[in-house]
Amino acid sequence: MKSYITYFKLKFKTGLQYRAAALAGLSTQFFFGFVYVSIYVAFYESGSGNLPMELKELISYVWLGQSLFALVNLWYKDKEIINLIKSGNIAYELCRPQDLYLMWASKILGERLSNVALRFLPVILVAIILPSPYNLDLSITLPRLILSIITMVLATILMTVLVLLYHVICLFTLDEKGVINIFMVISDILSGMVIPVPFFPNYLQNISNILPFRYISDFPFRLYVGNITINEGLIGIMIQIIWIIILVILGKLITKKALKKAVIQGG
Amino acid sequence: MSFIEVKHIKKTFKVPIKSDGKFGALKTFFNRKYNYIKAISDISFSIKKGEIVGYIGPNGAGKSTTIKILSGILVPDSGNVVIDKMTPWIDRKKYVSKIGVVFGQRSQLWWDIPAIDSFNLLKDIYKLEDSEYQKTLNELIELLNLKDIINIPVRQLSLGNRMKCEIAASLIHRPKILFLDEPTIGLDAVSKKIVREFIKKINKQNKVTVILTTHDMADIEALAKRIILIGKGQLLYDGSLTKLKRKYDYLRKITVITKDKVKLENDCVVEQNTIDDGIEFIIDIRKIEINEFIKLISSKISISDIDIDSGNIDELIVKLYEDFKI
Amino acid sequence: MGLYFKYFKIHFKSELQYKLSFMMSFISQFFVFFGYYFTIICLFDKFSNIKGFTLYEVLLTFGIIQFGFSFCETFFRGIDQFDDLIVAGNFDKLLLRPRNILLQVFCEQVSFIKLSRLLQSIIVLVIAIINIDVIWNIEKIITLIFMIISSIFIFLSILIITAAYCFYTIKGLEVRNVLTYGCREMAQYPIGIFKKGFVMFFTLIVPFGFINYYPLLFILGKETNKLFIICPLITLLYLIPSIIIFYKGMEKYSSVGS
Repeated sequence: MKSYITYFKLKFKTGLQYRAAALAGLSTQFFFGFVYVSIYVAFYESGSGNLPMELKELISYVWLGQSLFALVNLWYKDKEIINLIKSGNIAYELCRPQDLYLMWASKILGERLSNVALRFLPVILVAIILPSPYNLDLSITLPRLILSIITMVLATILMTVLVLLYHVICLFTLDEKGVINIFMVISDILSGMVIPVPFFPNYLQNISNILPFRYISDFPFRLYVGNITINEGLIGIMIQIIWIIILVILGKLITKKALKKAVIQGG
Repeated sequence: MSFIEVKHIKKTFKVPIKSDGKFGALKTFFNRKYNYIKAISDISFSIKKGEIVGYIGPNGAGKSTTIKILSGILVPDSGNVVIDKMTPWIDRKKYVSKIGVVFGQRSQLWWDIPAIDSFNLLKDIYKLEDSEYQKTLNELIELLNLKDIINIPVRQLSLGNRMKCEIAASLIHRPKILFLDEPTIGLDAVSKKIVREFIKKINKQNKVTVILTTHDMADIEALAKRIILIGKGQLLYDGSLTKLKRKYDYLRKITVITKDKVKLENDCVVEQNTIDDGIEFIIDIRKIEINEFIKLISSKISISDIDIDSGNIDELIVKLYEDFKI
Repeated sequence: MGLYFKYFKIHFKSELQYKLSFMMSFISQFFVFFGYYFTIICLFDKFSNIKGFTLYEVLLTFGIIQFGFSFCETFFRGIDQFDDLIVAGNFDKLLLRPRNILLQVFCEQVSFIKLSRLLQSIIVLVIAIINIDVIWNIEKIITLIFMIISSIFIFLSILIITAAYCFYTIKGLEVRNVLTYGCREMAQYPIGIFKKGFVMFFTLIVPFGFINYYPLLFILGKETNKLFIICPLITLLYLIPSIIIFYKGMEKYSSVGS
């Protein structure tokens, strides 16, 4: 186990080196957060009766999404892993006395957490000091805050195993552009990163409630902003755990199969 | 006035100094400091029409910078270049249609499709007449033996064949001058030979002036009668290779297979080593001629075999660089 | 123009080498675009209008802006990916050819994958034009055509300016992209819906207002002044300074090197 933690630390530290990239990423997040908020404000000012989220909730949702963007967006490929698979150098990885699945998981987690570590606070700080109604709302009860943090931790794990599943599928397709891209775009939409799930048409809401995607961003964000009750939150946590278990089993199975194939074919 | 006339060109590059540390990127943004690197301090030379000139020097000597200036990509800080009555960076469009450039490490061919498609596109880029283009193309196909390879996607070609196509592409518009930047880099011995022979042919038949940079001294030996040596941005030598050889290539290794033993006490012997089945002499040919030396040695011992190593041009260059402290 | 088509043919031939990968990317681009479209549809499912503009009116602006952007991304991919050209050192190759540099840059890449978005933006435009509550007449049709053409030109100008930036430094390119993509994101809606500061910015500095807002008011009959018909053409003037900036950058490049 220790070696995976070391691996995670290594990736995390390397990731922190890319400050310039993070700085550039920050500007993206500020700008886009501002664009989305402006659009939503314009819609809400045009008035309407029955809305699934309050403006305040929606805006806080946008800022949470932007500050955690580097962690929760599902359009993510690890160049090193992809190159390893495409070049066939995967054989070397197999020589190490480690579990490939766990090793890659700690790698992805380390890299993504380092990305978000550099961006999270600046975006949050700016979002807090913005004038109303553009700001991030901080008023939250303690139980809700604790529950939100738990769901966010689970969401991070869920994101890791989902992204990892896509990478593992590459072991079969040997190409990261085809099917994987399509998977990633669709999961991004269904996760609520493009627009929160309550705005989806009803049938699509029902579908995304069953699928894992929305439990990575839509669910923890809405729990935080108060759009989901504590009870619903507890049920959501159950679903997050169930999906984590399913995706881990699936990912491990696929890895095993793919590696067997690689061994038979001689790498 | 020569065909190519380079007068006192100078070029200095400004390279920002990066500061490290936490806010390094920010610091460099607000307070930029620069290193000034002299790529070329003062170089002049002239080249006659139809010459092949080897432009050599160690890495970072300013070879590429010169080639870039001569081909009109870079403008020098001062100095003047006149080639075929034009200044490269001023009459860019007119000038570049008269030159061909091959960068050994870069390609102007389309990777995924056969070379012939790239040639056809170049025809349109250079606005060539159909008949004229067809004639040149046929010539090149014949000369380079391209017939079987121009219809295969470039990515499937061997490095040697790719280089052949690359050179053909740079000649499709019948340039008067051909710049070759390390044309044989990475090629196997056979391909190198083919490329060299081709360059010779093009030079002879079409009177193309060739300027080539290379690290492979065999290229120079095979092609260039004249070399221009630069180092640290300065011109160090301009003249024939033979003359240079005479000046720097004066040591010969003579291996004699013999059972006898001898110790030569002579000025001309720089070193003497006993080997398994004979003796190895390193002699200075400025002090004694080879046949004199053989006479001398054969008068003392009986020789069953003899081998004379005529010196390696690479070693010559190393000596040269040492001499100029570059 | 002739040369561009020659290049186009070559690019097409290259692309045909990778049919499967092409199809896959084409489909994933489809979903990316669908994401944008989906957002607007979802929002208008809950709201009847945005500052008085209805769904099809917004889809018209959305279609026009996406069309202009996708058009540039598809056919002028070379200028969009100009940093690649500089970094790989292939810009020198263009300087060695007796042709206009900017034209060669345009020719350098064609993205057939982005054709996916272009087609979708046309579909959205058609849906909007059919369903929008407008009685079309010659003046309004001309206005619409001007809007579409200007949309291409404004993105082209922005791309040329941001490409010129690469002559100076290739650092902070992401910041550069923010400008392009962020503007596109906002301009999907009529600029008039935003707060005053934004409206001023998008009228005077990056003149998207002249493409997707003022002429739209004319089409919708909210303004009758004939000047609104030709105001999209103001953006064509934008091309002049951007080309000048590009060539200034090129001068710097040839004195400094890469």
